[in-house]
Amino acid sequence: MFLLFGAILYADTYRLSRPLRRVLQDPLLAIILVLVVLFVIITIILPLAAMIGESASAEGAALFQRYLSEPIYQRIISNTLVLGLSVALVGTAVGFLFAFVQVKLNVPFKRFIHIIALMPVISPPFAVATSMIVLFGRRGIITRDVLGMRFGPNDNDLYGLDGLTVVLALSFFTVAYLNLRGMMEALDPALDEAAANLGASKWRAFRTVTLPMLIPGLASSFLLLFVEAIADLGNPLVLGGNYEVLATRIYITIIGLYDTTGAAVLSFILLVPSLLIFVVQQYWVSRASVVSVTGKPSGTPQTIDHPLVRWPLFGMVMTICLLIILIYGMIIFGAFTRVPGVNNDFTLSHFDFVLNGIGRQAMEDTTRLALIATPLAGLIGMIAAFLIARKRFPGRGVLDFGLMLGIAVPGTIIGIGYLLMYNSPVITTLPLFGEVTVIPKLTGGQGLLGGALAIVLVYIIRSVPAALRSGTAALAQIDPSIEEAAVSLGANSQRTFRTITLPLIRPAFLTGLIYAFARSMTTISAIVFLTTPQTKIMTQQILNEVENGRYGNAFAYCVILILIVMVAVTILYFVVGSKTGAERTIEGGM
Amino acid sequence: MTDSVRQEIRLALDQVYKEFQQRDSKGKFTAVDGISLDIHSGEFVTFLGPSGCGKTTTLRLIAGFETPNSGQILLDGQDITHLPPNKRDMALVFQNYALFPHMSVFDNIAYGLQTRGLSRQQISQKVHEALDLMGLTGLENRRPNQLSGGQQQRVALARSLVMEPRILLFDEPLSNLDAKLRVQMRSEIHRLQRRLNITSIYVTHDQIEAMALSDRIIVMNAGKIEQVGTPEDIYRFPNTRFVADFIGRANFIPATVLNHQADTVKVQVLERELTLPIRFTVRDGAAISAMLRPEALSLRDEAGLAQGIVEQAMYLGSEVEYVVNVAGEQLVVVENDPRASRMFAEGQSVGVDFVTSAVHLLPTE
Repeated sequence: MFLLFGAILYADTYRLSRPLRRVLQDPLLAIILVLVVLFVIITIILPLAAMIGESASAEGAALFQRYLSEPIYQRIISNTLVLGLSVALVGTAVGFLFAFVQVKLNVPFKRFIHIIALMPVISPPFAVATSMIVLFGRRGIITRDVLGMRFGPNDNDLYGLDGLTVVLALSFFTVAYLNLRGMMEALDPALDEAAANLGASKWRAFRTVTLPMLIPGLASSFLLLFVEAIADLGNPLVLGGNYEVLATRIYITIIGLYDTTGAAVLSFILLVPSLLIFVVQQYWVSRASVVSVTGKPSGTPQTIDHPLVRWPLFGMVMTICLLIILIYGMIIFGAFTRVPGVNNDFTLSHFDFVLNGIGRQAMEDTTRLALIATPLAGLIGMIAAFLIARKRFPGRGVLDFGLMLGIAVPGTIIGIGYLLMYNSPVITTLPLFGEVTVIPKLTGGQGLLGGALAIVLVYIIRSVPAALRSGTAALAQIDPSIEEAAVSLGANSQRTFRTITLPLIRPAFLTGLIYAFARSMTTISAIVFLTTPQTKIMTQQILNEVENGRYGNAFAYCVILILIVMVAVTILYFVVGSKTGAERTIEGGM
Repeated sequence: MTDSVRQEIRLALDQVYKEFQQRDSKGKFTAVDGISLDIHSGEFVTFLGPSGCGKTTTLRLIAGFETPNSGQILLDGQDITHLPPNKRDMALVFQNYALFPHMSVFDNIAYGLQTRGLSRQQISQKVHEALDLMGLTGLENRRPNQLSGGQQQRVALARSLVMEPRILLFDEPLSNLDAKLRVQMRSEIHRLQRRLNITSIYVTHDQIEAMALSDRIIVMNAGKIEQVGTPEDIYRFPNTRFVADFIGRANFIPATVLNHQADTVKVQVLERELTLPIRFTVRDGAAISAMLRPEALSLRDEAGLAQGIVEQAMYLGSEVEYVVNVAGEQLVVVENDPRASRMFAEGQSVGVDFVTSAVHLLPTE
């Protein structure tokens, strides 16, 4: 793979030496480009290379043979893929349902439905899973107390594939919803009108015109959810039961067996489908879209009013909304009760534990590190978007792909990569200076800043891709000649970026920052191997509490974490602003 | 524009060549094919040609947004081929205006001056002068999206003019305006350029615009210069059929060389023998083309003229346009004589007259 990487880079450099000279004429631009490239190499390429190197060792090769031939591992691999498929299917379906109801039906509570659909984005990964256990588990409030169900040892319970599918689909469907809703809104209503004009019924127009145009969006959502599902660690850990997937097996291999080689080999097995599907999604499906956003609505979208379509679908969406409310209500309720579901007395002891007890360090550390990572991720994302969308230099596509690896590679794999790469300092021998430490030890308690730097780097590289994508999408909407005009008036790249580009992509910058903060606060898989006694992370603490059955503490953590994210988002809105100043205003117009 | 000013070369292109990598294929596309050209100080020069002829690429090479694969670009004798665009003392007026949408009119115009580091007071003074010059006073606090198309165009022009650049560049600046406004802005640009005497390079595919504004027109085709000349020169004496066809409309009537002298030939055109000047070498008996503009032809009920059949007659108000078939050749004839009392009918047989001094000979292609 890295041979390929190098080959592309070489071919690009060879072919485009002239643009490179062009970039080098602007020294600041050249320096920034070098810094971004270094950033990609340090934060993702080297750890990934270390992981692949470890799995390709003699020891690793033997393990490959073993893992691919032993039934237990074959089972884990097939479990992973089945989970990915079922989550992708259910999640896309739910997302489509929400989008359809939102755009195509004339029903009440649309705003409410929208807000409910966004809730999973800002909650920590196993908030939903834990809440589901308390509500629907073997001794769940609803399953046992309301429905009076009793579970024998072999009865089908929440744990396993079915429960995981529901929880993961509920956690991830927002992406599909937003994606499909955007597409449906961008569909030109004139197309529906044209179909109707040619004699098609609404159902036929939907089936033959709307649906085919949404296929790239559906495929794209499906693939995104698949990648998310097979990469997820937190939920299978809490809710998997005997249903083991690659991510949880990797976790146990490291935490339980201290077997980094085995974990690297398993990581490689997980990496292959993840990367493959990611590449298909990013570079093929998402470009096959025939829906163009022109920003010029040519008519009002027609709603479907048939009562047999409208009310059943509305009922389904409202049921899911109520389930989500129930889940989040349970989190809040559970945070204030002694033993949720067993002893429902009011208590503040869980909050006391988090705010004044052991949890405090985790809360402060996590927030601090996320606050450091957020602006850096946002800025790197915008600068990279500017470079990639607007500048010509060799290896542009490679740089884009390198940055996107931060999200394409499952978090557990990044964590292992950091363990392998940065558990000892990177030392090189130079002729005059002797041994020089290029990169100090980053991971573990003896790592730089108590391991905090490694966590911040992971936060950043996990968040940059979203900022990069929203940045490039925003830039695609801005005519490059606006920036050329600035250059033509004497501004250099740096002044153009600061005074023209950045202000115009401010909404994308805000999106990037919000995503970075929420993602950093709620991530578990990528940092689960990187927390140290000196640097505690809230999601890791929540996992501990859940694994020890102290759901109350876990819920209190979740509530506080969600509150921190919401406060931060609000502050970001006010500090950064969501407007460019270029919006059309109705008053004072022509 | 005295002759001494004219002789001072402001911009020189020397064998400038630019090719692009074609998307989705390994092929290369030659956009500008080794063109050489001198542009004088104070001159208004237009690159004219169909889309894809390389005129915009040439302008972007001059502005510095592209770098040529080979050749040199000199500004006042200094090699600027590899100088980045922000270091070139030129200002470009964009096709879509490219106003900064998040800034007020004032800030848009002040942008370049701020980049130069002028004092607040100097900036304010210059911006107000520019606003005044362009008739934009009172609009300085508006955002671009609160302006009409014509006003946006004026702001774009003011933003470039205020820089007092050595060369003002225009990239089809009027193509987004409606027809009436286009005519109005055209005369405004004409007035401003003559008054301020700024060396200007203008790109357009609109021949009327080119002729109205330019001291010299450079007609481009397929990356090469087809002809350079004054508007009148290019209209009346095109070097090639392409130029004749692109600038205005033209009839190409087959003609045969009866005999030739050093720079005149005797030819037969529409049954008349004429002795005409010629700008290329021919042999006796050679087949050449006689170019006649539609307005140089007229229709009469006269038997002594070459006879044709009216195939189409269109009444256009200020003129009448005919398509007449003369011996198998379709000729376009435009009559704009307000004294003419009637139109010829389709299918009618007519005599075709023409102004002999308007005949221009071209080689057949």
